[in-house]
Amino acid sequence: MKNFFLLKLLVPFKKLFTLIGIDYNVMRCILQVKLTMDSRRVPTVFNNSNNKNTNKDKNRFLSSLLIYMIIGLANLPFILLGHNFMFQMSIVFGILMFMITTSMISDFSSVLLDIKEKNILHSKPINSKTVNMAKFIHILYYLSSLTLALALPALIAAFIKFGFMFLFIFIIELIFINLLIIFFTSFLYLVILKFFDGEKLKDMINYMQISLTLIITVGYQFISQGFHYIGNSFDIVYTSQWWHYLIPPMWFAAPFEILINHHSENYLYIFMSLALLVPILGIIIYIKLIPSFERNLQKLNNEANKVKKTRNIKITQLLMNVICRNKEERIFFRFSSEMMKNEREFKLKAYPSLGFALIFPFIFMFNFSRIKGFEGLSETKYYFNIYFCTIMMPAIIMILRYSSNYKAAWVYKTVPLKKIRSIITGTLKAFIVKLLLPIFLLESVIFLSIFGLIIWIDILIVFITILIFINLCFNILEKALPFSESNEEQVNQGGTALLLMFIILLFASMHFGATFINYGTYIYALILIILNFFLWKYNFIITWDELENEN
Amino acid sequence: MENNLPVISINNLAMNYGSKNVLKKISLEVYKGQIIGYIGPNGAGKSTTVKIMLGLVQGYEGSVNILGKDIKDGIDYKRKIGYVPETAEIYDNLSAKEYLIFIGQLYGLSLEEVERKAIGLMNLLGLGDVYLSRISSFSKGMKQKVLLISSLLHNPDILFLDEPLSGLDASSVLIVKELLAKLAEKGKTIFYSSHIMDVVEKISSRIILINDGEILADGSFDELKNNAHEESLEIIFNQLTGFNQHKEIVDQMLSIIE
Repeated sequence: MKNFFLLKLLVPFKKLFTLIGIDYNVMRCILQVKLTMDSRRVPTVFNNSNNKNTNKDKNRFLSSLLIYMIIGLANLPFILLGHNFMFQMSIVFGILMFMITTSMISDFSSVLLDIKEKNILHSKPINSKTVNMAKFIHILYYLSSLTLALALPALIAAFIKFGFMFLFIFIIELIFINLLIIFFTSFLYLVILKFFDGEKLKDMINYMQISLTLIITVGYQFISQGFHYIGNSFDIVYTSQWWHYLIPPMWFAAPFEILINHHSENYLYIFMSLALLVPILGIIIYIKLIPSFERNLQKLNNEANKVKKTRNIKITQLLMNVICRNKEERIFFRFSSEMMKNEREFKLKAYPSLGFALIFPFIFMFNFSRIKGFEGLSETKYYFNIYFCTIMMPAIIMILRYSSNYKAAWVYKTVPLKKIRSIITGTLKAFIVKLLLPIFLLESVIFLSIFGLIIWIDILIVFITILIFINLCFNILEKALPFSESNEEQVNQGGTALLLMFIILLFASMHFGATFINYGTYIYALILIILNFFLWKYNFIITWDELENEN
Repeated sequence: MENNLPVISINNLAMNYGSKNVLKKISLEVYKGQIIGYIGPNGAGKSTTVKIMLGLVQGYEGSVNILGKDIKDGIDYKRKIGYVPETAEIYDNLSAKEYLIFIGQLYGLSLEEVERKAIGLMNLLGLGDVYLSRISSFSKGMKQKVLLISSLLHNPDILFLDEPLSGLDASSVLIVKELLAKLAEKGKTIFYSSHIMDVVEKISSRIILINDGEILADGSFDELKNNAHEESLEIIFNQLTGFNQHKEIVDQMLSIIE
């Protein structure tokens, strides 16, 4: 195992740890194992040399930090705008806190909610203090890397513009913010753990993660739109309101006003003391809460054997019978629908993408229309924005092959199946009916109400294009059976995704071209329908050999 | 064999999960050198008992003393315990070497000592060539062997084994059975839960049958045989747990299958 940088950092504190009753060597051991496992999200079968992998992992971790750094650039305008710190820094801290909390919940919940750990570690002669400290340092380590990456652009800008003192306050406050976030997230989990158990609990956490992922992205769109208004209204004089005491980012903005701008209003001091005291108090409560947290964590293991009623919605039943031509296809349609409904990993990855698919067209449309105004929108061809909902399609189709129960895929091979094709078409059709159709219908209704019924043919064209596009996705992406590969083996197919994006652009341009010709759209629609018919009839041919080769 | 003080002594142990009573005031004493076959139907409370003794489950009533000390008084007793959990919970992103070294160090062994023991035991169980491979690539039996080794590294006085033979091939089963017998001879105590009655029957020096949170029978296999007037543990088990409809069930199953 590697000697990680973090472990070296801990060496000077060895005495201190021992002093407060922590078994330093054991703690170091636990941390080393955890960091090793974190760096190995890709298990390679029978691979004796780890060198190749660790290098790759390292790059992956670095690149994720790099992305966070780029996201962090969004803070720059607020730092550079002026000297109204109460206002600027509230926004900066607001963004930072939100980003950190959400990534903490979505990426790090596996660490917070690890039950394996309990059985392995607690049966050993280790005091719980040591285990908890290891856990705490582990979380802190990730939180710090994340915070540093996110805040780095802002920190550099602040240092250049306002000097060392500002930077110093900034860094200290970030530490306090992290403490507050640790407290907040574990408290949140504790509440959820308290009220739910077993499968229901896992579902709750799953939905929370999904919604947070969604909110981040959408939130970002609005922040970027907000720039204009903020730029104009910058001379606002800050007046404190009682509810401001409830907004943590404002607490953390106050010290800048006091120490840099030398303002000394009472409310600023209250803010500053809140910024200091609440995190410290929070972390003390956190340490006190750990045992009860652990106790409730056991609930994750409990199985609430509640019988879920399966509602057989008649419409899907009908649709299934219409679009699935043979029995085998229907079997896999039903199977995949159930899998998509129940598999949390899938939902966690796919639902945010679906959310984006729903929201993207409107975001882009509003971005365009802000320039010209909403009036007259219906006369324009902005309805082409509906093509943006296809952006996420390849990503979701790619996810379909993964499952946390991927090993169960042996059933595909042991059952007497006539054609593998049915597995794939059945799954894709389930995806279309269960996930794509509801979103597209909603989208269409909104677009039709904005642009008028006249665009029905365009909506139809877009829908057929998506159906054709799914064919192309299948052909271009690496082929695999649905739910047959480990989540941890995910390969990045960024290049292919770009190619697919280009193809959509091509389709959209042809469609756009057709609108300039009389009856052009109708002819284009007819061509697409015929093409689509043949594709779904003859495409998706795949043999077992092909699948073997891919693996 | 029962010399002086009990190694494990459980007194009126009760445990509820919500409104469900998993253990209903169990009391038992276990002595040095015993191999306890701890048996019972699914959900009888076997795992819960073991988990309480290991300190994995809190909130029980009654008292548990291990090696003369109440387990609530500290964690030091765990140094003398080896544990193979029921579900093969293991950090399978680590290699066997890394995992064993980790566990050994947690028990306070030095790096050199763990390495020496780990490679030695791995070799003897035929896993020498996968010592450096990730556990995630192991078969069920291989994982089970790693877990067994990890429970033995620190030469414990008490072993808690939950279905330890699952997935092992016949020759490994032979080795483990022999090993358990030898360990007991050397004065170790083995607490063994399993559903495979043939094995329990043969290796246990004492059998404890638990059902619905209560002890139904406790004694050597011969004693159980005499009490029940039956020849096999399997039949005794079903008699005591009141299960006797297996023939009718099979008949009905056949009528459904055909």
